[in-house]
Amino acid sequence: MNIIVLVKQVPDPEAIVEVKGDGKGLEVEQKFTMNFFDEFAVEEAIRIREKNGGKVKVISLGGAKTTEVLRKAIAMGVDETLLLEDPNFEGSDGYSTAFVLSKAIEKSDYDLILAGKQALDDDAGEVGPMVAQFLGIPHVGEITRLEVKTDDNMVVVDKVIEGGKEVVKVPLPALLTTQKGLNEPRVPPITGVMKAMKSQIPKMDAKALGLSEEQVGEKGAKIKIERYLPPPKRREVKMIEGEPQEAAKEAVRILMEVERIL
Amino acid sequence: MDFRLTEEQEFFRKTIAETVDKMIVPKADEIDEKDEFPWDLWREFSKLGYLGLRYPEEIGGMNADPVTAMIFYEEITRGSVGFAQSVIMNILMGTYFVYRFGSDAIKERCLLPAMRGEKIATICFTEDQSGSDLGATRTTAVKDGNEWVLNGTKMWITNGPIADFATVLATTDPSLRMKGLNFFLVEKGTPGLSYGQRLSKLGCRGAITGELVLDNVRIPEENFLGDELGKGVVYVGEILDEIRVMTGAMALGIARAAYEEGLEYARKRVAFGNPIGRYQLIRAKFADMATEMEASRLLVYYAAWLIKEGLPCRKEAAMAKMFATETCLKVVDEVTRIWGANGFAHEYRPQRHLRDARFLLYGGGTHEILKDFIGRSVIGKI
Repeated sequence: MNIIVLVKQVPDPEAIVEVKGDGKGLEVEQKFTMNFFDEFAVEEAIRIREKNGGKVKVISLGGAKTTEVLRKAIAMGVDETLLLEDPNFEGSDGYSTAFVLSKAIEKSDYDLILAGKQALDDDAGEVGPMVAQFLGIPHVGEITRLEVKTDDNMVVVDKVIEGGKEVVKVPLPALLTTQKGLNEPRVPPITGVMKAMKSQIPKMDAKALGLSEEQVGEKGAKIKIERYLPPPKRREVKMIEGEPQEAAKEAVRILMEVERIL
Repeated sequence: MDFRLTEEQEFFRKTIAETVDKMIVPKADEIDEKDEFPWDLWREFSKLGYLGLRYPEEIGGMNADPVTAMIFYEEITRGSVGFAQSVIMNILMGTYFVYRFGSDAIKERCLLPAMRGEKIATICFTEDQSGSDLGATRTTAVKDGNEWVLNGTKMWITNGPIADFATVLATTDPSLRMKGLNFFLVEKGTPGLSYGQRLSKLGCRGAITGELVLDNVRIPEENFLGDELGKGVVYVGEILDEIRVMTGAMALGIARAAYEEGLEYARKRVAFGNPIGRYQLIRAKFADMATEMEASRLLVYYAAWLIKEGLPCRKEAAMAKMFATETCLKVVDEVTRIWGANGFAHEYRPQRHLRDARFLLYGGGTHEILKDFIGRSVIGKI
């Protein structure tokens, strides 16, 4: 069974992120990591391969530094990686990212595609479902259990819904996005780390995928980012001094006259 | 001149850092409090294969170069110094002579299981009357037919009370002092080998340290670890620089752990209406700590690079160990000051770093000995 996993390199949750002066972009501290939800996808793919055989290929779209997350995937145990890197990919939105990924996937042999349910940086949660749409295959989101039925060429998955869970049967090939609870991603053993350190990461650009500049990156995007705004600062806490009865009266006065909430 | 780590080394650092953050950091306080060997963590961690870090891939190791090894030592010590001491003992000092001189049978019996974490290794240098002064070693090894008979008491043995095998420094002729020293392999269960007092230490808790008593311990000829008699000190020289630079890397690890605690506190703790990190005297502390840590890092990794390139570096290794350690001692002290009275409370971590850092003064050579050596090297014969 051949599995493709889509991963994204995102800023480390501890990295300092600030809005640039003109509000058009972000200043991100150069600390990166594999997207939290993608780790479940990589782990699950390796587990399925360990049980059923086949190959796991991890694909990521990003800059040169993205090799780091692909190396991590190798250290965990995947068989192949592919980095989609091209200066023209910059400014991609979910749509143009999914489009480019789907073109790369079309060149591969696959039975199942796994991806994190959303990226921790933009939190959009679009790419997985959009890739499924481009490829014309079914998609189930936010799965917490996956069972492969090789004889029937299908998977049975659990997905969390409000107040319970839904059990869904999906014919293959399909794209599933992974949610916390699916598994516990492994700590890479040293043999994997060594393999990862020595690996060459294959790369493809737009041309190699047969795509023009107009189809990818900012030009191919459907969304234009107008402006970034930092979250509003928490307002100062005002302590009201005095006896409880008096303080309560003052609090009501502030709510009615100053804040005009009541 | 290129001061960067390679992309591969950067990846290794990130991977081991994440492993340490996930596996070791959450257990570090408990290891310190209980002061018991963390067997569960040991089993879990050794499964990853890092204990074979320095040894060839053909026997299941990683064949890591000295720079990569230093990255490992620094990161694991950042997690827990007590645990790191036991791990590094298995990786380096506790197995080196077995790897270098052990017969195939000995390697099969001791080295390979130690690389897998199934056996615990140690090395025994120190005695009650000899530490820096190795020539004063009183543990004796006397040849009796095809056997060696060992007698003596070893002190300050990391992993000692739980070790499955020990590389023991003993003299075959006390009158020869340094030239009478040799290494011997003594395995657990050998009659006459017993474990004496376990030491209660100020820091590095969780690493079990104690005495090893050798009372007419008889071992076969093949347990002599060397090519010829009287070369023990020469053999120590083969890994002395590495041990010293490794201690420097451990100093960096402790300093970083403490520094991070200090940074977090300075950003959050409010006094006089501002986070204390906004005050100049606190900023000055960070300026000094960051600068000296950077200088230590350069010295440690420069010395590691010299080892990697096979260039002489006894002086640089001594400098790296001493400077990184002194920096670490300053950093752990400053961080407890930044934390104010909280730095004095067992509830928080700065006190642990303060205690742990003290061991660096003795491990890898006291600074009195190192300074004397560096001074002599610089001034030359006069």
